[in-house]
Amino acid sequence: MKRVNQALLAVAMLFLAACEPGPKEIMIGQDECAYCRMTISDKPFASQLVSTTGKAWFFDSVECLAAYELDERVETDRIHSRWVPDFEAPDTWVNARAAHYLHSEELRSPMGLNLSAYGNNEQAEQNRQSYGGEIKAWRGVLELVNEAWLDGRRNVPATAE
Amino acid sequence: MKKSIKKILLLVVLLLVVAVSLAASPYGEREIRVDGSIAAAVEQASPGDILIIPEGVYRESGITLKTNRITLRGEPGAVIDGEGNGHILIIKADSVHIEGLTVRNTGLSHVRDYSAIRLEGAAHFRVNNNRLENNMFGIYVSRSAQGEVTGNRIAGGGARESNSGNGVHIFDSQKVKVSENHISLHRDGIYLEFATSVEITQNVAIDNMRYGLHYMFSRDSVYSGNEFRRNNAGVAVMYSRDVVMNDNIFADNLGPASYGILMKEISGSEVAGNRFENNTIALYSEGSSRVRIENNSFKQNGWAVKIWANSTDNVFSGNAFIDNTFDVATNSRQHYNTFAGNYWSNYDGYDLAGDGIGDVPHRPVRLYSIIVERNPVSLILHRSLFIDVLDLAERVMPALTPETLVDEKPLMKSPLP
Repeated sequence: MKRVNQALLAVAMLFLAACEPGPKEIMIGQDECAYCRMTISDKPFASQLVSTTGKAWFFDSVECLAAYELDERVETDRIHSRWVPDFEAPDTWVNARAAHYLHSEELRSPMGLNLSAYGNNEQAEQNRQSYGGEIKAWRGVLELVNEAWLDGRRNVPATAE
Repeated sequence: MKKSIKKILLLVVLLLVVAVSLAASPYGEREIRVDGSIAAAVEQASPGDILIIPEGVYRESGITLKTNRITLRGEPGAVIDGEGNGHILIIKADSVHIEGLTVRNTGLSHVRDYSAIRLEGAAHFRVNNNRLENNMFGIYVSRSAQGEVTGNRIAGGGARESNSGNGVHIFDSQKVKVSENHISLHRDGIYLEFATSVEITQNVAIDNMRYGLHYMFSRDSVYSGNEFRRNNAGVAVMYSRDVVMNDNIFADNLGPASYGILMKEISGSEVAGNRFENNTIALYSEGSSRVRIENNSFKQNGWAVKIWANSTDNVFSGNAFIDNTFDVATNSRQHYNTFAGNYWSNYDGYDLAGDGIGDVPHRPVRLYSIIVERNPVSLILHRSLFIDVLDLAERVMPALTPETLVDEKPLMKSPLP
């Protein structure tokens, strides 16, 4: 009986794990940016925001994702997670809050704020040495977008780390 | 008498000689036939030289022009093949002319914008009548001014959009004329970012993977007489102001996110005399203001105009809306734009006064378009009796459609030929 229970629990946990909302596949060249309406065409910048119910909003750049959140186009408590592509391995999704960002004029992003994301700090640092610029955390990204696009009108949430 | 004529003749001859030598020496158009390496010839050139490139395939890349007033002129069959090694021609000097060349195969990169012809800090340039084939970027104009890009035939590799660049790319530049080019299979046919006073005329952009033309953060520009056909998403004019868009053709831009023109955050602009045919959405406006949309023909589009409520003070007049599935769609009952004196093919009013203006106002927003906006699946009910009845009822007693979105003076006849 105990074994059966354990097995049931394992199955239940599998189901729960399967239900956890996560990043979805973005159709490059087809999907539209939810913030700026541009067709998403540059995989190394294509980002997304996932709600607690598993709905995903796609963006053509890290800056559009940040602006969408700052603009509160989705209620904050509906946000499950934000995902950005690793610039050097664009098939890998990195949680936006854990990612390292390089703000460099040499790596031009689709919306002109020139932010690229990395899963680990070494890669970000390596690209900073190659292309110049400044490394930022997610909070720094939100602050940059708030200043550059929204005249600093929005509040960068204190929890954004 | 004879002596004086001789004297005068002598003087004239002398003057002529002086004039010719003046014209020839410091500004001398020395014609040099390139024999072997173009890079070497460019290195040795002095201002005023015309380098003639004879027929043949030159396997070179990274050719950098740093001397002012150089002309590179290809004879028929002159080809520079970059063999995938990056930028091919880089121009960092003023008054450089590039003409008659075929430039191909830059290769691709995900960090570098490899370009067939790249202008960096160049002024008074002319890039005319070249053929650019299978390059990441065709002509890349960066921080340059007062140039022209005319009569080029530009075709990208067209394989994967995520790795392809734009046909003509203009970044942080002023006073550039782009005319009579044919651009296909690139990401965007023509792309402008932080550009001012750019004139785009008589180009054809066809089968590009994203937009035929794409404006970002640009101002005081004109595009007219161009043809944008079968581009994946049409033309996008975004975050720009004072853009004049006249007499263009927008056709066959079909797909879930395809537009004739996508206008996002545009102000003080003009869209006049254009033809929109067979596009999914002919004109889309979000957050745009003070745009005059006049004398355009919207024919057989899915949506002729989709205008979001955050667009204000736009004026639609003298346009002809003919056989579109939806003439106007919007997302709110609030509406701050003007529709006056347009022709609507599905107007069912009458003109007893005989002045060519319908006596009954026309409401171009169908109830059905609002239903479709909220629930796209209901498109399946298109052309059903149920929908016709709904539309009719709504027209008689508007409850859900925007009350103020009315053309009070609908034309009885199309104003356009």
